[in-house]
Amino acid sequence: MKVIELNASVTESNDRDADQIRKEMKEKGTLLVNLMSSPGSGKTTLLSRVITDLKNRLNIAVMEADIASDVDAVKIENLGATSIQAHTDGMCHMDAGMTKRALDSMGYEGKDLIFLENVGNLICPAEFDTGAGLKIMILSVPEGDDKPLKYPLMFDQSDALVITKMDTLDYFDFNLDKCAERATRINPNIQIFPLSAKTGAGMSVFENYLIDQVGLWKD
Amino acid sequence: MSNRDFEILETKERVIEDNDKVAAEVRSSMKSKGIFFVNLMSSPGAGKTTTLVRTIKALKDEYRIGVMEADVDSDVDAKTVADAGAKVIQLHTGGSCHMDADMTKRGLEGLGLDDLDIVFLENVGNLVCPAEFDVGQNKEVVILSVPEGDDKPLKYPLMFKVADILLVNKFDTRAVFDFSINKLCDSLNFANPALKVIPISAKTGDGFDEWISWLKRQAALAKEADK
Repeated sequence: MKVIELNASVTESNDRDADQIRKEMKEKGTLLVNLMSSPGSGKTTLLSRVITDLKNRLNIAVMEADIASDVDAVKIENLGATSIQAHTDGMCHMDAGMTKRALDSMGYEGKDLIFLENVGNLICPAEFDTGAGLKIMILSVPEGDDKPLKYPLMFDQSDALVITKMDTLDYFDFNLDKCAERATRINPNIQIFPLSAKTGAGMSVFENYLIDQVGLWKD
Repeated sequence: MSNRDFEILETKERVIEDNDKVAAEVRSSMKSKGIFFVNLMSSPGAGKTTTLVRTIKALKDEYRIGVMEADVDSDVDAKTVADAGAKVIQLHTGGSCHMDADMTKRGLEGLGLDDLDIVFLENVGNLVCPAEFDVGQNKEVVILSVPEGDDKPLKYPLMFKVADILLVNKFDTRAVFDFSINKLCDSLNFANPALKVIPISAKTGDGFDEWISWLKRQAALAKEADK
């Protein structure tokens, strides 16, 4: 009897497409960042700030992935960055094939840094390689410091953890040290950036990290 | 029939159909026992567990409550909920991003239903996948928390469409965030204009009177239905 492992083959073929994207992006000197988080943790607000602060230094574009709506793409466009809205049509994550189509229809000639703002979800996006050169996840203070315990794969897969809404620490029982300890127990190499995209506190450290990563990618 | 000599299998439709069959079984079994069964869904960190703890405390003298805690991994919530006074079982989805009817059925068997009036399924924290899977519940309760923003129904319409009631949690922090209940209702117009919305704070207890009396009414209806 022949057994077909459907799930394994989906992942394998996705991985092949993802490697192809990564190779192409490397040749063009474009760093593709897969940005992941829960709904409402502040992906778009963080990106808006980064674009405003870095647009004179880096050529930035954003691919907005959503099940429906285009509210985020409109915001990004208003800031003067190239952007495209990708509708996953019910799908809970982006895969490499969808990413490739979004890249091709947006165009990425001359871009230094492209963000893929993934669907708001801490589970499924962690399982799919999109061909990104860097994976960044966001956790916001109101979500709680126990999230690494509940969604370990996301923390395991991410190169950097941005902790947003740090200006609201007083209103929530969020312990930054505990959160950092739980995240680094899963992923000792994860780089952690506590900040507030609203007030701007902590933004420059994160932005310097992005500038360094673009430099490393182009080398 | 077309002249194809092969069969096309719509696997996703098939999955949903199979799921619906098991969900119907769960629903009829819960109905025959007179148990009110709630599927509780939200984003990660919106406050499902905190809301449940306060709800259990408000109901436990009058009702026998069971809770199924569904998580990808970990058991941090199960202990918190057991301490509040509910009968609890922890379900690990093993990586899966939602509960389906079969997992729910097995969870209910593990929990044991003979001595219960109300059962809550605390689904995996996710606004996308759980909305697609009927688990055999009486009512679907969705929590949106203030820090997540008032635009979420535009982005995750299915979750708000399937909801029977929407609890807007962390309402005590609305001054800190740019959250407008009017804007939220505007964005609901697209997905589910008739949706009942109750602003609550699981921390301070605001709004719980309305939420608890809604639950009591539903539990009474479920009890009557088995007669």
